[in-house]
Amino acid sequence: MSIRNKNSIGEKIFDSVNVIIMCLLGIAFIYPVLNVLAISLSSSGPILRGEVSFYPVQLTFKGYENIFSNKYIWISYGNTIFVASVGCIIGLIMTCFAAYPLAFGDFYGKKVYSYMILFTMWFGGGLIPTYLVMQKLKLINSHWALILNFLAPAYYIVVLRSFFSTIHKSLIESAKLDGANDIVCMFKIVLPVSKPVLATISLWYIVGHWNSFLPPLMYLNDRMKYTLQIVLYDIVLQASGAIYELTDVVQTGEGSMLIPQQVQHAVIFVAMLPMLVIYPFIQKYFVKGVMIGSIKG
Amino acid sequence: MRRFKNINYRKVATKLWADRYIYLMILPVVVYYIIFKYWPMWWLRVAFYDFKILKGFKGSDFVGLKHFIAFFKSPDFFQIIWNTIYLNILSLIFAFPAPIIFALLLNELSNSKFKRAIQTVSYLPYFLSTVVVVSMIKTFLSPSIGTLNSIIKSLGYEPIHFIGDPEYFRPIMILSGIWQGIGWNSIIYLSAISGIDTELYESAVIDGAKRYQQILYITIPGISTTIIIMLILQIGNLLSVGFEKVYLLQNAQNIRVSEVLSTYVYKMGITRSNYSFATAVGLFNGVISLILVLLANKLSKKYSEISLI
Repeated sequence: MSIRNKNSIGEKIFDSVNVIIMCLLGIAFIYPVLNVLAISLSSSGPILRGEVSFYPVQLTFKGYENIFSNKYIWISYGNTIFVASVGCIIGLIMTCFAAYPLAFGDFYGKKVYSYMILFTMWFGGGLIPTYLVMQKLKLINSHWALILNFLAPAYYIVVLRSFFSTIHKSLIESAKLDGANDIVCMFKIVLPVSKPVLATISLWYIVGHWNSFLPPLMYLNDRMKYTLQIVLYDIVLQASGAIYELTDVVQTGEGSMLIPQQVQHAVIFVAMLPMLVIYPFIQKYFVKGVMIGSIKG
Repeated sequence: MRRFKNINYRKVATKLWADRYIYLMILPVVVYYIIFKYWPMWWLRVAFYDFKILKGFKGSDFVGLKHFIAFFKSPDFFQIIWNTIYLNILSLIFAFPAPIIFALLLNELSNSKFKRAIQTVSYLPYFLSTVVVVSMIKTFLSPSIGTLNSIIKSLGYEPIHFIGDPEYFRPIMILSGIWQGIGWNSIIYLSAISGIDTELYESAVIDGAKRYQQILYITIPGISTTIIIMLILQIGNLLSVGFEKVYLLQNAQNIRVSEVLSTYVYKMGITRSNYSFATAVGLFNGVISLILVLLANKLSKKYSEISLI
């Protein structure tokens, strides 16, 4: 922080203007969330007249009653939790397996192995070839397509390796003299002292899976398999809630329909709620990841 | 070649055996990378065939560069490339400096609790999915229920249909991009600022430097390396625009300005099942991006000892 001369008027004006700008920005970050929550709890009349901003007008829980009684919303919630938790656990193990040899190993082929991983940071098969491979492996319309599509990305491996490299090799060497092998060393010595960075990486997986949209859009085609983001996309952005058997919709002919705004916004709010609740607690792990990532090399 | 003759095979075997657990660890990783990262690269051949999914490569005709030429000659080519690059240029001009300014202003806050509170809320958009963000954009800009149009109406003007008007597509992309990234992208600059020697400020004050002078002559030069590296990396991404937000904001009215390479590939490949053509477009994009990123890496290495691998 720059050093201030408290007595100067110019400095005081600078400080006040800065605080005002920051407050306005703070509101700008929160407002869209508040607005969605307010609309989800308001009655149609005030919503359509554009009267709802910070707080609900003519409070009603119709939107939430509507979606909580809908089985497809629950199914998609379950699917998302399944993909995020399984993806996180397998991803974390794979990332550890991938990074440990890079940090502590001195084996034939290490260079080839590390280039094999790093190269994928710059070049890949891309959308269509990956899709065709998934199709070849019969993974279309399977949650495993989502999990396998996002497992041990090179960047995560690089971040974990950077962290591992700060651990003293002598710890491992002495354990090896006592007869421990590398896998035991990893679980008994390396991982226990790496808890913060492991938390960072697991959260990357969870948030990544929770918010992922293109892969489920591409790979899933059955409403029983859909994840939350797809249901949200269909109901709010496509206004095509027919397959989810939403009650309370207004048919407008030709198969198109009007889903009440409370319902749409209740879905938006429910989809973002878990992230909203946990992010203040997990942000420090993400910040740590950014730091480790930026000094990698 | 002489060297190889002298290899002590016994020694090699001992070493391989000693590292058996390491090989056991990398085995699943190597298998995964081969199947899910390198096999798709091998499938890039699709771009050079008239690929028929049911017949495979053997039953499909090899057509060389036909699909690439078709793409270069197509009337959409320049428009799509321009849309992609132009969005990146706009974001370079408007969105790139935003987190730097935000970090500088945050750094000047004296109340650390207030500072931390602002930082925390500024990270909020980073944790929201693109679908949620676009839903919010559409709500905020809606002619009937949106807050912005309520304000416009209360000032006595006609509501504006922002989402349907191609004029507004790029401003919406850039402004929402700033909203999403300003807090998160400021982290790296704040950490660079915290690395500046405080003695510099102390001696500047003794010399009578005002606060804006301290920012201008100490803070900004102190983080210039970080700024330059981030700038170069951004330039390396000139030909990539994230798929999700563009796709979700796209509609029949704005398609002319909103079609970018990634959405075009999706539409051609997944929606229309024109696998070969879409793969050709994707490969073209991938190769150019690879060259740009490698150039960017080389450049940024010149500016710092930190390798960006």
